Amino acid sequence: MILTFSILLILSSLLLIVLVLMHKGRGGGLSDMFGGGVSSSLGGSSVAERNLDRITVGTAVIWAISVVALGLLFKWS
Amino acid sequence: MLSAFVNAFKTPDLRKKILFVLFILVLFRMGSVLPAPGVDVENVRFCLNAATTGENANSVFSLLNVFSGGALLQLTVFALGIMPYITASIILQLLTVVIPRLEALKKEGQSGQTKITQYTRYLTLGLAVLQGAGIVAMARSGALFGNQCARDLLVDTDSVSLFLLIVLVMVAGTAIIMWFGELITDRGVGNGMSLLIFTQIIATFPGTMWLIKEQKGWGTFAIVTGVGLAVVAAVIFIEQAQRRIPVQYARRMVGRKMFGGSSTYIPLKVNQAGVIPVIFASSLMYLPALAAQFNQGEGWSTWVTENFVQGDHPLYMVTFFLLIVFFTYFYVSITFNPKEVADNMKKYGGFIPGIRAGRPTEQYLGYVLSRITFPGSLYLGLVALIPLLAFMLIDANQNFPFGGTTLLIMVGVGLDTVKQIESQLQQRNYEGFLK
Repeated sequence: MILTFSILLILSSLLLIVLVLMHKGRGGGLSDMFGGGVSSSLGGSSVAERNLDRITVGTAVIWAISVVALGLLFKWS
Repeated sequence: MLSAFVNAFKTPDLRKKILFVLFILVLFRMGSVLPAPGVDVENVRFCLNAATTGENANSVFSLLNVFSGGALLQLTVFALGIMPYITASIILQLLTVVIPRLEALKKEGQSGQTKITQYTRYLTLGLAVLQGAGIVAMARSGALFGNQCARDLLVDTDSVSLFLLIVLVMVAGTAIIMWFGELITDRGVGNGMSLLIFTQIIATFPGTMWLIKEQKGWGTFAIVTGVGLAVVAAVIFIEQAQRRIPVQYARRMVGRKMFGGSSTYIPLKVNQAGVIPVIFASSLMYLPALAAQFNQGEGWSTWVTENFVQGDHPLYMVTFFLLIVFFTYFYVSITFNPKEVADNMKKYGGFIPGIRAGRPTEQYLGYVLSRITFPGSLYLGLVALIPLLAFMLIDANQNFPFGGTTLLIMVGVGLDTVKQIESQLQQRNYEGFLK
């Protein structure tokens, strides 16, 4: 049981990292982090970006579930 | 003030954005208390209690811990917080001065900036791997709480695969945090990353205040609150202060349309650099302490531990202050380029009354900027020293909640977010928060 969830967690973690990196970065880093210029959001997101969002959310949910499940399993074992 | 809140929630567009931000922040906080798998929660909690309430609280990680909202020492999923992103941004910001290719990218404008952001994201994950491995390794050997706590922090301290699993989970957590920040910037109000830092700082706030009350009693608690409020007022006063340099635009015809003819101003803030110099300086001050931690017992490391780890040493304060003043000038020179502003003004037919366009304007702007930055840098340095001085005076906890850095970030982010909400409100002709 622990092994299954560990493998699931490893896979979803790696997938999650790749997916987040595939997103187009928003915001200009540190310069507009603290009292910088007002960043204007230009238009909506594209279809590809929206699908990417959906996949990322799905992976994140799987990731969170396996984290919680593993935590509980370690506690009981 | 209250009616502005009602208005903000009456506008469907804005209401959606605010609720979205709140939703993300709730998810973020939940991740910050969810322990990583394989961490022995009870032992960690025991050690944490011993470390924070004990006399010699570990101060090396205090800044890191503040930025992660207490998540770091609890070894949660989001233990690394936004610190890797901040460090990566600082590194890239410094590298733009050194590496010509990055400088060229920065001058390219929007597309170049996107590329730099992408580099920052890659570097963030790289740093997350390093920091995560470091922290989990320390937890494994028991050095996370300064060898004061004998209990095992992990379920199995010998297993290499468990070690790798925890590091991987923390790195994935950092990736999620990064994504959260971008989502907020993209679809919510305010800047995502700074709002996340804000949340983490606020989260530890009540706990630290209560700790002061528990340790010192109501008297000190009242003094601390009073001093804190006074400092907040002072910070807002300087934060909002700006010099307005008048600019007159010549009226001109393009085709059949009339352009320009208006008079505006260039706002030069007293504290143009914001809170970034303080973050730069504290990250730098943290390095020698970290190096000493790894090389205990040698001559130079005992010297460092004696002079640079304790915030109440005069040498530490002077170095900290000078670093902040230096970085304020450095950062202002990076972000505000008088030549660029002067050229832009000339292109659109603008001029400062009494000063010729072109080079004289550039010199004038540089002159005003360097003089206005001087009090700004002194103010930043003094505010950052407040917690150290207060620590000495009332002998309060090391994690003094009104620490200069945290205070500046709180006020800065708060003002910025309110301003953005207000500008959205004004698009629909409602009265804003700030009168």
